Amino acid sequence: MFTASLMGAALIITSAYLFGCSIAATYKNRVRYLEEFLLTLEIFKAEINFGVALLPEVFQSIAQRVHGPVGQLFMQSAAYLEKKEGLNATECWHKALQDRQDEMELAGGQMELLNKMGLIWGRGDKKDQLKQVTLMQELLRQALLEAKNEQGKNEKVWRYLGLLGGLTIVILLL
Amino acid sequence: MFKYPSAIKEIYPFLPPRLRCFIEFLPSELGEKVEEIRLRHSRPLILHWAGGEAFLGENGIVHRMEEAYKINGEDLEQTLELICNHSLYAYEEELRQGYITLPGGHRVGLAGRAIMEKGKVKIFSHIGSLNFRLARQVKGAGAKVLPFLVEREKGRIFHTLIISPPQGGKTTLLRDLARLISDGASILGEGQKVGIVDERSEIAGSYQGVPQLEVGMRTDVLDACPKAEGIPLMLRSLSPKVIITDELGREEDVLAVKEAIHCGVTIISSVHGATLEEICHRPALSSLLENSYFERLVFLSRTKGPGTLEAIIEGERGLPLFTARGKGE
Repeated sequence: MFTASLMGAALIITSAYLFGCSIAATYKNRVRYLEEFLLTLEIFKAEINFGVALLPEVFQSIAQRVHGPVGQLFMQSAAYLEKKEGLNATECWHKALQDRQDEMELAGGQMELLNKMGLIWGRGDKKDQLKQVTLMQELLRQALLEAKNEQGKNEKVWRYLGLLGGLTIVILLL
Repeated sequence: MFKYPSAIKEIYPFLPPRLRCFIEFLPSELGEKVEEIRLRHSRPLILHWAGGEAFLGENGIVHRMEEAYKINGEDLEQTLELICNHSLYAYEEELRQGYITLPGGHRVGLAGRAIMEKGKVKIFSHIGSLNFRLARQVKGAGAKVLPFLVEREKGRIFHTLIISPPQGGKTTLLRDLARLISDGASILGEGQKVGIVDERSEIAGSYQGVPQLEVGMRTDVLDACPKAEGIPLMLRSLSPKVIITDELGREEDVLAVKEAIHCGVTIISSVHGATLEEICHRPALSSLLENSYFERLVFLSRTKGPGTLEAIIEGERGLPLFTARGKGE
């Protein structure tokens, strides 16, 4: 009986701790995704500065270099562009973003930023396009800074909360 | 989706969905002959073909301008994005020149506000109109003309200038002559190496460097390359027997043509104009004609549709070899 209670308590504490860890991981992932988006814009700038690749090709090239949900978002956008259904680049991006947003677990403000990102693709001549990308990079850097602060504040808290929550439940059940 | 496998089908992906539906309603026989689709801001959507035009509205062709669909800024912006493959930054040179070539060799002409830099057009902003000009290969267009352009004893092609007003079929004839000379024809025997200097991508309709129209198996194309630079480049590196280029006009083009002729390469070219007198008044061209650089002058018109052959004249003595009223050699 005692062994079974001990095992049950261990199970509750472990589950609660893992739940806390999973919430903590979202803060970590947000930082990672924002860093990856910054990297994609660097790739985009390099591609249009030193080559003549078209937007669908640039998106595919980004998807090959950046893996995970961010790369898949670009791949999906490229696929919509290639379908030639008459959608503009912004519409294709927003459609792909809708398909992929759950995988990225981004906060509301960060999603809004990604929506804005859709407005810059393929707009203006090279000079204008580079200006818009640079501006977007600035916005992403600010968002990254905030996400890192959030991570610093919340990551450990959620882990401890998970653990303490589990312990609390066990104590209450005793 | 389409009833007809026409040029219109090829430009369909470059139109926004809103405009696609108007095109879908077209009767197939009309779809086959459309030459231009005009999109002008705040004005009706118009189709043009040889000898006619029509407004397009909700129910296909409409007869009153008021019923026609009026193009708006969003239509133009979206169409421009689609023809640039969502990559305006990659089409700066084309936007500066005022046209973009599509797969299939079709061309879209642009008009809007010109932004100048150092006295030259840098780019067009605020695009106000777009003109889809559909490319149609007319195979056999050159078959009637070619026998007059061949020196049979030597198997040599004469230096030839094709003269016609705009939309008279010059480019179509140049393209078919390139194909016939390159692939070989009964009058000519084996094919010859042909070089096309296609400054405005009209002859071969190249898209990303690949000719979209049939210009022959022994043909090399220098796409979007100015004639004055392309002709010497052809001579140096591609050893053509015949160089084909269009719309001679500038002094430097004429110099390049003279250089090629002196190098023993045949030149076939074209020029805008209705009569020989008109062309002789153009300073750059008059020296070519007065010194009989061209051995054959081919006149085209639109009297019986584009590409109507009016006359072929022997360049040096001005003897008519062919006239629309009766052949005389």
